[in-house]
Amino acid sequence: MGMDAQQRRWVKPLIVAWTAAICLFLYMPVAAAALASLSQSRYFTFPVAKWSTVWWGKTFDSIQIRELIETSITIAMLVTAISVVLAFFGALAFARYRWRGRSLYQRLVLLPIFFPQSVLGLALLLWFSALGLTLSWQTAVFAHLVWIVPVATLVIAIQVYSFDPALEEAAADLGASRWQVLKEVTLPVLWPGIFSGALFSFLLSWGNFPLSLFTTGADSTVPEYLYAKMIAGYTPGVPVLGTVSTLGAAVLLLGGYGLITVIRRARGT
Amino acid sequence: MVSGRFPILELRGLTKRFGELAAVDAVDLDILEGEFFTIVGPSGSGKTTVLRMLAGMESPSSGDILLKGERINDVPANRRPTCMVFQSLALFPHRTVGQNIEFALKIRGDAAASRRARAFELMDLLRLPRSYYKRGVTQISGGERQRVALARAFAYDPQILFFDEPLSAIDYKLRKTLEKELKDIHRETGKTFVYITHSLEEAMVMSDRIGVMRAGRLVQVGTPHEIYTEPRDKFVSEFMGEVNVIDVVADADGLLFAEAFGTRLTAPAHRRGFQKGHLVIRPESLRFLERPEQAENRFEGTLYNEYVLGSRIQYQVRVGEHVFAVERLRQHAFGGRLDDRVLIGWNAVDSILVEE
Repeated sequence: MGMDAQQRRWVKPLIVAWTAAICLFLYMPVAAAALASLSQSRYFTFPVAKWSTVWWGKTFDSIQIRELIETSITIAMLVTAISVVLAFFGALAFARYRWRGRSLYQRLVLLPIFFPQSVLGLALLLWFSALGLTLSWQTAVFAHLVWIVPVATLVIAIQVYSFDPALEEAAADLGASRWQVLKEVTLPVLWPGIFSGALFSFLLSWGNFPLSLFTTGADSTVPEYLYAKMIAGYTPGVPVLGTVSTLGAAVLLLGGYGLITVIRRARGT
Repeated sequence: MVSGRFPILELRGLTKRFGELAAVDAVDLDILEGEFFTIVGPSGSGKTTVLRMLAGMESPSSGDILLKGERINDVPANRRPTCMVFQSLALFPHRTVGQNIEFALKIRGDAAASRRARAFELMDLLRLPRSYYKRGVTQISGGERQRVALARAFAYDPQILFFDEPLSAIDYKLRKTLEKELKDIHRETGKTFVYITHSLEEAMVMSDRIGVMRAGRLVQVGTPHEIYTEPRDKFVSEFMGEVNVIDVVADADGLLFAEAFGTRLTAPAHRRGFQKGHLVIRPESLRFLERPEQAENRFEGTLYNEYVLGSRIQYQVRVGEHVFAVERLRQHAFGGRLDDRVLIGWNAVDSILVEE
């Protein structure tokens, strides 16, 4: 409105340049870490003097690092499985059904998202010791759940809000039992939301540091190891593992959303 | 057309309370086997709640629902031999046209080949091209989706089909076509249809009988003709569309007096003891007069405005504070100019007297 052609010609390149600058700002650190992993030198210097993939080889050969990745994946998979089940029914409870106390319930369930995670981790640590539990990766699974179930609930609820309850009624009206309604209609229709919730759960658990720090005890996860090594005993193995962790997450995320897009297209929605 | 059939569905004092509010208040009704029955009422009249109770999606607070004489209050929706076509249609978005139609058959455990054969039969009946079988339900038009929803309901082979305003979100032209189509399908299948709508016009086109609801109560039940010519009260008559209503009281001689106009009116016969009510005159029953003696009742007024309503033209005539609507077919358009003094009138037989 009121913008002449002269001005308009400048607007588009400006928007493109601004967007590119923001992306650069966001992704530069990740790229820098990837570059650092390709240094031959034991110490982190920039610019990189001598390029090499020697630390990549060393990292992949390390039994300790394999164990770390195994622990992180085990925690993340368990957290994913449990949070998806809890979050699915939790989200249905407040986004699908109307009942007294619904909005209070919704706030209570979602509140832990806003707790500072380090405080939450410490509180859980105290709680675990009060209960006399030995800290290990299993206690970390529980700690992750406290924070991740609410996030997954929120993610799944977004899908549930757009769900037409008449679909369930129609299925029941056509003879389906409760279980058949869930299996044939509710789950398949909400599937993209459930899948997003699972993806979020896995990645948030995989990358979580503050909760793991307090609750894994003698076990260690990838982010914990990275932190410890950065504090003391840095090698380019740290950026190698960091880059692998980030790339893995990115592939999972993009692949996951690619899959959802393909399925949505096939359904024509 | 309907007489001699037995009631397939009986509502006995059917009531549904939400807290203090009686959304449906002691409704008694018989719906006959094979008829097209429409419950019509404004939003909040309780018609949807009645339908949901009949379909098994709400349970009555009191009263009974009998299907072929058997009480079905506590039978859940998935065990009732009835099926609903929803306002949103509620087609399963993750399934194809074919899978939607076959849903009930799949639940029942029919083999794929027989399901498919039945789906094709229904697609033929509803004039859906067989090539749509593998299409997604989101890839077809609104009218086609309507037919898929119908086919899906027919596949269940219900004894009664319920319709929850399935045409309300469809544009005027397509809706008119689908109304007639639905009536044709009713004829072809011979099933009992129970339809709800807020549009009496829609109800008139399709129904064998109509029940008018207001504030949880069934106000009047009758054929479209009965509802049109003998509305029981002002609400029903006004619900029928635009009408002229004159408040009347019986004077000492038992004659009707219109206080707003300070004049007596010649009205249809009324019972002794009638005290006050409303005289309803449809716009098409009001006429422009050349001489006063052409009608039993008449008013002089000013031609205020005119509106073209397709095949008809509506004129607004102001008589004092009161505005009358007069309608004529387009080919008999009234020649007067705006602000002309005009004489309008009607005979007693063309008016309807409803008691308050």
